[in-house]
Amino acid sequence: MRRAAFCAGAGLAALLPLAASAAEELPLLPPYVAAYEPQSVDERGMWMMADEQEKLWALSELRVDDEELNAYVERVLCETVGKDRCSGVRIHILNVPAFNATMSPNGAMTVWSGLLLRVRTEAQLAAVLGHEFAHFEMRHSLKGFEQRRSASDASAWLGVLGGFAQVNTGDAQVSLVGSIFQFNRGQETEADLLGLKYLAQSAYPSRAASEVWQQLMEESDATAFGRKIKKRDTYRAGFFDTHPTSLSRADYLLDQALAYNDAGDPRSKEHYEAIQKHLPKFLADQVKLNDFNGTEYILSGIAGTTGWTGELLHARAELFAARGNPRDLITSTTLYLQAMDAGYRPPETLRGLGLSLVKSGKRSEGARYLEDYLAILPDAPDAAIIKMYVPK
Amino acid sequence: MLGRLISHLLVLSAALALPFAAAAQEKTGSKDGFSLQQGTVRIALLEPRILVGEQSTGGMFEPNADWTEQARENLEQELTAALGSVGNEVVRLNLNVTPEADSLRRYNYLFGAVAGSVVEYQFFPGNRLPTKKQEKSFEWTVGPGLRDVAALDGFDYVLMIRTKDAYGSTGRKALQIVGLLAGVGVTSGEHVGMAGLVDVKTGDVVWLNADLQMGGDPRTPEGAAKRVSQLLEGFPGMEPVKP
Amino acid sequence: MLRQITAATAAILLLSFPVAAHKVIEPGLNDKIVKGVFSANPETRWNRLQQRDGNYQEIWTIDGDRLNRVVFYGGVPVGEPLVRERDKKRDPLPEVTGNMLLPDIPLLLERTYRTKYGIAIMAIGRQEPATLDGRPAIAFDYTFIDPEYEVETKGEAIAALDNGRLYLVAFEAPSVFYFNRDVQKFRDLVKTVSLTR
Repeated sequence: MRRAAFCAGAGLAALLPLAASAAEELPLLPPYVAAYEPQSVDERGMWMMADEQEKLWALSELRVDDEELNAYVERVLCETVGKDRCSGVRIHILNVPAFNATMSPNGAMTVWSGLLLRVRTEAQLAAVLGHEFAHFEMRHSLKGFEQRRSASDASAWLGVLGGFAQVNTGDAQVSLVGSIFQFNRGQETEADLLGLKYLAQSAYPSRAASEVWQQLMEESDATAFGRKIKKRDTYRAGFFDTHPTSLSRADYLLDQALAYNDAGDPRSKEHYEAIQKHLPKFLADQVKLNDFNGTEYILSGIAGTTGWTGELLHARAELFAARGNPRDLITSTTLYLQAMDAGYRPPETLRGLGLSLVKSGKRSEGARYLEDYLAILPDAPDAAIIKMYVPK
Repeated sequence: MLGRLISHLLVLSAALALPFAAAAQEKTGSKDGFSLQQGTVRIALLEPRILVGEQSTGGMFEPNADWTEQARENLEQELTAALGSVGNEVVRLNLNVTPEADSLRRYNYLFGAVAGSVVEYQFFPGNRLPTKKQEKSFEWTVGPGLRDVAALDGFDYVLMIRTKDAYGSTGRKALQIVGLLAGVGVTSGEHVGMAGLVDVKTGDVVWLNADLQMGGDPRTPEGAAKRVSQLLEGFPGMEPVKP
Repeated sequence: MLRQITAATAAILLLSFPVAAHKVIEPGLNDKIVKGVFSANPETRWNRLQQRDGNYQEIWTIDGDRLNRVVFYGGVPVGEPLVRERDKKRDPLPEVTGNMLLPDIPLLLERTYRTKYGIAIMAIGRQEPATLDGRPAIAFDYTFIDPEYEVETKGEAIAALDNGRLYLVAFEAPSVFYFNRDVQKFRDLVKTVSLTR
């Protein structure tokens, strides 16, 4: 197994504690050797599987086929790791509403839509992409194919590849959504630290890496709170299933970033501009997941940069409307109205508002909005059922 | 030491609770009355899925690129020869990411679902649908829309081939012995394969063969020949070649 | 020690070998659907799957679960999800609520599919008033990508709310060929469905 010229893991102890005044000297990245060919038997087997899996992603129904969005993610990767490094990577964006990104030894990277929804800045996206790329640069030897058996969020999204290729095999062979490649904890730490080096070298602030983890943990806490289960200190579910962590991970990432003391524009507005076209869909997919508090947390996070835009207000309204307690319906009604005040008046908002009012017992007010909905979309696929709530 | 080994076996046996374990290992179905017009048909071999590797002690699959490449070459050569020996033409088709190939791609997914259903609901006795139990009943199809797929113009049949070979590692073989002692079934190595033939004009699956314990080592030309003869066992119009 | 192993193995094998096989549903009056909640009078043969996801579900199929399936859900009470929850606390599913309206039902199905089955691509289409055994009902269409075989699947369903319970009967089949071929059998079946409990 080849390693990069420097050993990232051993360097950590030497970098702490923080220097109060002088900034840590920015790390030098070693010269990059592209065009790597797999050497050992194991490596070549892994690459072959990686190629097989990448073909499936390219053909998949889950693929987000948007050149602009792909170009955005590629640009952020290139600005993070540099043009030499990023040219060997192919990015596939998959329509899966959970936080994850994967890296294969042949240079294929996937990014899930749930990740694009959760990172709040280009720098945070850069942190994740850099981390995944670090596995690739370090040619991390791979532990073989992990079986997906836990009921966690991330693995719940792993569909078994269709058809006969998997007949009774028992192992999760070429799993479509999840990567078949998994790294051990030591490799994850190495990737964290090399990822930080890329960030520190780039125009992005390296603090963003720690922010990603903090936010994921806070989201997990919010979900737990909503489900009245104990907050965890060791996070194991969801994304953490494949990237197990504890508080210390966010800590050492923050410590190292403070030591680098690098500054930079995280570019939060720019991230939301880049995903703007897809945001309503990403939000809708998340809202439908029955995670009230986790979704609230995500929405607030976005609002921190963009403010409570019409899309966010609408999404929040849908969240309350779906839970549907009498008090929730008052909230959803208010939120739909706020969305409209903010200039966001697509038919879905009128429909949602109308139904929330009807369910609250305010049938004639509700009918008014449903009539407006029908006026805009007389041929809506649900026009016939909506008409039921509009008295003649 | 023994205690740990036994608890390890328990985990393995859960992982190995394969529905097919004790049931019939190979099965062929073909459409009643189907026969192949030898020497006159063009067959599209739809990107065969061939995978060869090792099965680690823990039962995980470790792919081997060299073995897979060898097997692919050998199997495709043998398939072309075996089918061609009765005068049929075999052409390999790839699945691409183009709008024109979209239709073929969707049919490929549907082939998978239909083949999966045949194995799950007709071949496997523990899960057989009662309406599929009659001997002569082999009614499976992807529908007549198949003939409109542009990529299949000029072809009479689509042939699907899928094989997976996981050779037991030394550790795995040792575990097999220990398993026998403990009364737990541990399979070493896995050699599964499927071949299916679909009539382009009607979309009917005219023949499907599933074998969960295939013989013949596809990494060698002789082994590949044996494997192909097993894959094509019961192939309409073929003389069975028993080595 | 050996006894423990064989007992554990036996338990595991029991789970993987269904003890009771699937049953054939012959044409004729059948009043035992979902343990007597529904009755129907099919004109064609079906297979009733031995597996079901929770106490409120029953599945019929002609060629297999992924090729053509009729799913009955009934009568799901307020506060319960349509299907079995993996973990009620950590992985809860959306529930039937007391103030649901008919247009909320397709959304309940979609949220259930997305949350439990990891179906990432799903869309609800046509939604119309209908009747189910004389009760006001909603008839609706949907499509989704079946994650097992990545096949685009179409669905057509009819659902009613009666006495605090949800009743839903749906038909799902691949868009390519199967849906169009078999949907009429479903529509004919639905005409004969009555709610007995």
